[in-house]
Amino acid sequence: MTHDSGSFLTRVNPSVKLTAHLLIMMFLMTIGDPGTSALLWLLSLIIGVALGGWTWQYIKRRILPYLGFFVLVFWMLAAFGKGEAVLWQFAWFRITEEGVYHGLVIAFRMLGFVTYGLLFTSTTDTTQLVMSLIQQYKLSPKWGYGLMAGMRFIPLFESELKQMKAAHKIRGFHTQGKLKAFARYTLPLFAQGIRKAERVAVAMEARGFNGSRKRTYYHTPIVANLDYLYCTFLFLAVLVITFSSYLFGWFTWVWDS
Amino acid sequence: MTPHLACKDVSVRFFDSRFFTLKDVTLSIEKGEKVLFLGPSGCGKSTLLAALAGLIPGSIEAEITGEIVRPDRIGIMFQDPDAQFCMLTVGDEIAFSLENRCVPRNQMDSLIEKAMAQAGLSLPKDTPIATLSGGMKQRLALACLLALDADTLFFDEPTAQLDPQGRQEIFELLRSFSDSDVTMVFVEHVLDELIDWMDRVVLFDAGGRLIGEGTPEDVLSLYGKEMEEAGIWKPRLFPHTMEEICADPSHPLQTEWSSQLQRSKAKHTTSSLRTNEPVYTVHDLSISYGKKQVLTSINFSLHAGEWVAIVGKNGAGKSTLLKVLVGLEKWKQGDILFAGRSLKKWPTKALFEQVGFVFQNPELQFVTDRVYDEVAFGGKVRGWNETALHEKTIRLLQEFALEPFSEKHPFTLSQGQKRRLSVATMLLFDQKVLLLDEPTFGQDAGTCAQLLSRLQQRKEQGTSIIMVTHDMDLVDQYADRVLLLDNGTIQFDGTPYELFSSQLPLPGLIRPLPYEWERRIKDDARFGLVSYARESIR
Repeated sequence: MTHDSGSFLTRVNPSVKLTAHLLIMMFLMTIGDPGTSALLWLLSLIIGVALGGWTWQYIKRRILPYLGFFVLVFWMLAAFGKGEAVLWQFAWFRITEEGVYHGLVIAFRMLGFVTYGLLFTSTTDTTQLVMSLIQQYKLSPKWGYGLMAGMRFIPLFESELKQMKAAHKIRGFHTQGKLKAFARYTLPLFAQGIRKAERVAVAMEARGFNGSRKRTYYHTPIVANLDYLYCTFLFLAVLVITFSSYLFGWFTWVWDS
Repeated sequence: MTPHLACKDVSVRFFDSRFFTLKDVTLSIEKGEKVLFLGPSGCGKSTLLAALAGLIPGSIEAEITGEIVRPDRIGIMFQDPDAQFCMLTVGDEIAFSLENRCVPRNQMDSLIEKAMAQAGLSLPKDTPIATLSGGMKQRLALACLLALDADTLFFDEPTAQLDPQGRQEIFELLRSFSDSDVTMVFVEHVLDELIDWMDRVVLFDAGGRLIGEGTPEDVLSLYGKEMEEAGIWKPRLFPHTMEEICADPSHPLQTEWSSQLQRSKAKHTTSSLRTNEPVYTVHDLSISYGKKQVLTSINFSLHAGEWVAIVGKNGAGKSTLLKVLVGLEKWKQGDILFAGRSLKKWPTKALFEQVGFVFQNPELQFVTDRVYDEVAFGGKVRGWNETALHEKTIRLLQEFALEPFSEKHPFTLSQGQKRRLSVATMLLFDQKVLLLDEPTFGQDAGTCAQLLSRLQQRKEQGTSIIMVTHDMDLVDQYADRVLLLDNGTIQFDGTPYELFSSQLPLPGLIRPLPYEWERRIKDDARFGLVSYARESIR
C-alpha cells in the first residue's frame, strides 16, 4: 500500500491520519460552493507534494486519470442539470448557471475524496495500519490479524481464477450469461478460499494465537507530538481556507445552496 | 513417571464420517525422540499428529476419545507453505510467535535474529513473504516454531509441496537438530534423507490402526510386504548406504541399478531411429511478461508416440512452456506448429480434440457434479450419439478404475482418484497428445504406479506425452527424451541417459541413484587407477 517510505506522512500514526482525513472528507460533503471545495482539494495536493513525497510521476499516474472523471461529472451535471439562468443552449444540451455551479461542487468534492484517500493509502503501511487500529482504536486482535491473513489471499485468488478459466476453456465449457459464469467460478473459488482460511486459522492457533488482547506487539505505533502537529496544521489550514472563502463571500453550506 | 508425549486408546472420528479415522491408538514418545509416522494416504497419521499436538478438538472439530499427555511448548509445521502465515514480512511473521507468547518488545529483535539464524534464513527482516521460494517459506515456518521456544516439534509433510532441491535443503536443516533434545514427530511421504536419522518408525494400516513400530531398519525389513501392499513409498537407498553399495560388488541394489542403467542406455541407443513426422514443432519461441523474459528462443519438436519430460527448478518456465503449447499463454516471437499448421490457426475446440491438458490441481478443472458426466462432458458438448458416448465413457472409467465411483461428486474422490479422473477426462477423443503438469505430485506409490502404467499403455498406442515433473526416477524410467529448462531456455534436449550420465549441473534437481552410483564407481576406478599407477612407479 505504501508508495514512499521516507516522507513526513509515513511517520504519522495511521489511526490519527485516517481519522483526520475522514473528518475532512465529511467536512467536504457539507460544503456547497465550488470555490471552497477546490481550495480544499488543492490543499490535499499540496500536502501530498510537500509532506507525502508525491512526485510529478506519481501525480501523473494516479491523480491525472481522475481529472477525466472530473470533466465527466462536471459535464453531466452542467449540461443536463436543472436551472433557470441559461448560459448556452444547443440541441439537447442546456447549460445553466446553477448546473455549472453544482457540477463544479460535485466534481471537486469527488476529486477531494480521491486525493485525501490517496494521501492516506500512499503513505500508510498495511501492517502499521492494522497494528495501530488494534492498539489505538482497540480493534480486536482476532479481527486485526484475521484481516492481515486475509490480505495474503488476494493474489492467490487471482491466480486460481486464471487457472480455472483456462481449465474450463480446455474442456470446451461455455457458460450462458454472465451470472452463470459468475456462479461457476465463484463457488469453487469460495470453497478453496474457505479451505485455505481454515488451514491458516489452524496454523495461527497452533502458534498460540487465541485472539485475546493478552499479547505483546512487535509494531507499537504510538500517538506522538508529530501526530498532534500534523492534525493541528491540517485543521488550521482547513479553517484558514474556510474563513477566507467566507470573506470572499463564496462560502455556502450544502443545505443552503 | 509420566511420558513426555503419549496417547492411550485414542480414537478420532470426524463429524461427517461414519468411520473412525483413528482407532484405539496407544503410543508413547520420549523426550528428544525422533519419530516418523508411516501409512497409506488417508490412514489418519496426520489426524494423530493433530490430536497429539492438541489441535483436535480445539482448532479442528472432531470427536475424540482416549487420553493424551503432551508437553506445553509445541510447534507444528504444515505442508502448505502458503497457508501457515498471517503477516506480510519475514520479521513480522516470526514476531507473531513472540507476540503470542507475550515476549516483551525489547527482547523481540534479538530473538527474531536468533530464530532466523537457526533456521538458516539469511535475509533482511523486511523481506516480503510472497517473494520467498517454497523451501524458504518452510525455513521461515521453522523459524516461527523455534521462536515459540517449543521443545516438541510436529511436521505434517513439510516437504510435500517443494521441489527436490527444496526438500533436500529442508531435510538437511532439520537433520541438524537430530542430536538436540528437541522431540520431533514426522508425517512424510518421501523417506530418503529422513528415515535414516529417525529413532523410531510407527506404521499404520488403511483403517487407522497402529500395526507396527520399531527402528527404521526393523520396520522396513519386517513390514516390507505390508508397505508395498498399502502403496507406501519406500526409501530408495535406506537401510543401505552408497558407500556400502559401492564397496560390495554383489550387493542386490547394485545389480538392480546396473540393469536399470542398461535399460536406459538401450532406450538411448534406439531413440535416434525416430523419423516420423513431428506432431509439434516449436520454432524460436519467446515469451515475456512485460519486461520480464519468461522463455527465450525455445526450439524442439515432438513426435508421435514419444514421451518427453520437461524438468527444471521452480520458476524455470516449465508450466509456461506447457501452457503455450495449447495457446493458454500468448507469445510474440517465433511459432508453434501443431500437425503442420500454426497453432494460431487452430480453432480452440478442434485443438482440444487433439490435445489433452492435465492441470497440476485436478479440482480446478472439474466442471460437472458427477464422475460419469465429467468424463462424458466433451462428447455432450459436441452432441455425440448417446450410445456411442456411453460406451466410450464406460470404457474410460474402466480403464482408469473409476467405474465404481461414477455416481460420486468429483470432489469427494481421493487424491489418486481425482488425478486419474482428470487424466481420463482428457482422453475421450483419444487425443493424440497429452500434456501433463506434475501428474504424480502428492500421490502415494500405489496410485502413482497405476497412473503411469495407464499412460505407458496410451503411449504404446501412439499417444505423445509431454510431462512436467520433478521426479527424476520417473523421467529415467518413462521418458524417451528430456528437456532441461533453466533461465527460460532449453539447456539440454536429449535422452534421460545422456542427461544424467553427463557432467552437466542440474539446477534444482537430483540425479537418480543409479547414475550417482555409476559416477562414484567411475571416480573410484579413476582413483584406483591412480593409486595403482603410483604403486607400479614405486
